Amino acid sequence: MTIVVGYVPTPEGEAALAQAITEARKNNSTLVVINSSKGEAAVDNRFAQDDDIQGIEQRLATQGIQHVIKRPVRGHDAAAEVLDAAEEHKADLIVIGLRRRTPVGKLIMGSTSQRILLEADCPVLAVKAG
Amino acid sequence: MTSQTTGLKGRSELGVALLLGAAGVMVFLDANGLVTPYSKSDPVGPKTVPFIVAGLLVVCAVLLAINVLRGGKGEAEGGEDVDLTHPADWKTILPLAGAFVANILLIDWAGWVISGTVLFWGSVLALGSRRYIRDGLISVALSLLTFYGFYLGLGIALPAGLLEGIL
Amino acid sequence: MDVWSSLMDGFATALTPMNFLYAVIGVILGTAVGVLPGLGPAMTVALLLPVTYALEPTSAFIMFAGIYYGGMYGGSTTSILLNTPGESSSVVTAIEGNKMAKAGRAAQALATAAIGSFVAGTIGTALLAVCAPIVVKFAVSLGAPSYFAIMVLALLAVTAVLGSSRLRGFASLGLGLAIGLVGMDSVTGQRRLTFGQPLLADGLDIVVVAVAIFAVGEALWVAAHLRRTPMHIIPVGQPWMGKKDWQRSWKPWLRGTVFGFPFGALPAGGAEIPTFLSYVTEKRLTKHPEEFGKGAIEGVAGPEAANNAAAAGTLTPMLALGLPTNATAAVMLAAFTSYGIQPGPQLFASEGPLVWALIASLFIGNLLLLLINLPLAPLWAKLLQLPRPYLYAGILFFATLGAYSVNLQAFDLVILLVLGALGFMMRRFGLPVLPLILGVILGPRIEGQLRKTLQLSAGDPAGLFSEPIAVGIYVIIGLILLWPFAYKLFRRTRPARTPLVPANSGAADYSD
Repeated sequence: MTIVVGYVPTPEGEAALAQAITEARKNNSTLVVINSSKGEAAVDNRFAQDDDIQGIEQRLATQGIQHVIKRPVRGHDAAAEVLDAAEEHKADLIVIGLRRRTPVGKLIMGSTSQRILLEADCPVLAVKAG
Repeated sequence: MTSQTTGLKGRSELGVALLLGAAGVMVFLDANGLVTPYSKSDPVGPKTVPFIVAGLLVVCAVLLAINVLRGGKGEAEGGEDVDLTHPADWKTILPLAGAFVANILLIDWAGWVISGTVLFWGSVLALGSRRYIRDGLISVALSLLTFYGFYLGLGIALPAGLLEGIL
Repeated sequence: MDVWSSLMDGFATALTPMNFLYAVIGVILGTAVGVLPGLGPAMTVALLLPVTYALEPTSAFIMFAGIYYGGMYGGSTTSILLNTPGESSSVVTAIEGNKMAKAGRAAQALATAAIGSFVAGTIGTALLAVCAPIVVKFAVSLGAPSYFAIMVLALLAVTAVLGSSRLRGFASLGLGLAIGLVGMDSVTGQRRLTFGQPLLADGLDIVVVAVAIFAVGEALWVAAHLRRTPMHIIPVGQPWMGKKDWQRSWKPWLRGTVFGFPFGALPAGGAEIPTFLSYVTEKRLTKHPEEFGKGAIEGVAGPEAANNAAAAGTLTPMLALGLPTNATAAVMLAAFTSYGIQPGPQLFASEGPLVWALIASLFIGNLLLLLINLPLAPLWAKLLQLPRPYLYAGILFFATLGAYSVNLQAFDLVILLVLGALGFMMRRFGLPVLPLILGVILGPRIEGQLRKTLQLSAGDPAGLFSEPIAVGIYVIIGLILLWPFAYKLFRRTRPARTPLVPANSGAADYSD
């Protein structure tokens, strides 16, 4: 099995990663971690830094989980990158983190998670920060 | 130092020396072509300084060529937003220059509002933004805003061009 | 002339609602461009030169001064929170400042930088108000031969001392002088380098040249090498300092000011050397040497003060002698020219109210900057999320607009593109841009003084040495030019000694 997880260095992102690790251990799957940025602004705090990624790498290695970490910066938004990776790795499950938002906020901002939910070809597991 | 054939490779900086030399010769020829009778009130005349500048340029050209052939290299300028680890990205530069030239060709005929929109929209696309509609709207808004801003605020009438009478 | 009463008149002018408004606009713009990557005060003032056609000179210069000081404040914010110093003068601030921020002391680092900048800026401006009239008093007694010598010194000092390669500095100077030659000769009316093109007869407009080199060249250069990997910014609340931080900061602020001002006022001083000296001094004097390299507050306070004092120092030769020693001052000088105001020692006499209003506005701007930077630092940091396509497209857009509005002719845009390409090439091959701009601005003035001098001496070259000051300056010029050779010789005879100075001597030209 293959699980794709959309990671961001926020509580929601950490929750998603933790859940994805639990799922991966359950049925010995390969974990694909995606952390992307459009690379448009000079600063993007949703793009994980090198030491952050190394920490994840180590965590997965010590738990003996087969994994791929991808950090695409090519102008696509996060939803497109997760869907892309899901297709490429023939994912059986996508894990994402959800932010709490009011209906109005959702209407204005649009939503990465919503796009993934609507367009994914496999089951999507949405997690909230604890 | 490597052999002459490989020595010339990657020495695009010699082009700078060539440019300096050409500029020097040009300044010299231009000044030489001036006809000035000697005048007591202006013993220096209009030729002297150009000759000095031409000399400076030619000397710099020669020294730079020698410096480059000996392996010298100009240090490219860094900056907050500059990543010198990848080579110049011509796929960004050329469309950018294209948008700039389009503006030059359009500005007098089509007017600033149209040519400015083309310039900004083209530049944003060249720089990698992919939100076509939002970018287009921002471009139009910016051009209109500057057109009226310059007219009302600075008293400068930018060309209205094709939209003459509408604006 | 009484400094105090002139200054009070200056405050009266600078505090009129309209001028005060321009000061506010200036400091806000300045802070913004200081924070934004890829934009600097020189480029911003260049982009704003077209406003000189509509604004009163006083209002315009008050705004430019705000941008100049504001850029310094904004620059320190990014170098602390991002560790990517935009200008060479904030490199040193970033060393300790970023370490402090990473250790969770970003608020204190920003506070000591802002308050230190305010203290140094205020003292520096006061020194400017006192020193500039003295320099003027001395300078008005000088004749054309001395002036010629001083201008040559300023040109050569900037070219030979700054930058990593002297040879490339001189190449850039030559190009600038050549650009300055274009147009009608002011004495004989002969057309030089116009190639029969009537549009070139009036010369290249300095606005177009400045915008091309600083804005178009820079935007194209950054676009070609845009950093794609996004960075993290250290989150920060409102800047504040505890009692202990104050105790550790006030002495470095004052020492930094002492280093900064004189270096800024020298023809080729700049801000890099004093910030570096201040850092080394604080490292030596500190009671907490173990903190250096891990985020010592003294290492932020001193260099940041030195940086701002140097900025004030730079304005001394600019206002008193008409000699710019950094890029922003050069572009401000271009603005004087654009108004038809003759820069030089006579400026204080002919444009006294303007100059004093400008100096007064520096005090006001400094206070405003403290007020908008202390509480709002987190807000300014948000500017870094602006998508870069808009930023650089905007620079090109406004550059075009500015250059076109000078004469409303598309031909100027062709020149803008050609010189922009030149600016790109210079950045690519390490030719510094400052000598070029100085060559364009000072070249014609130097030629004028040369011709005046030899006219007085009826063509005898000895006329160049007819004033003792001029002779003294030629000796200094000789020392500057010969220094690298002497240094090389010295090193050859005593090879054991390692140089303390960073390698920016001309000797590198022949060995690197």
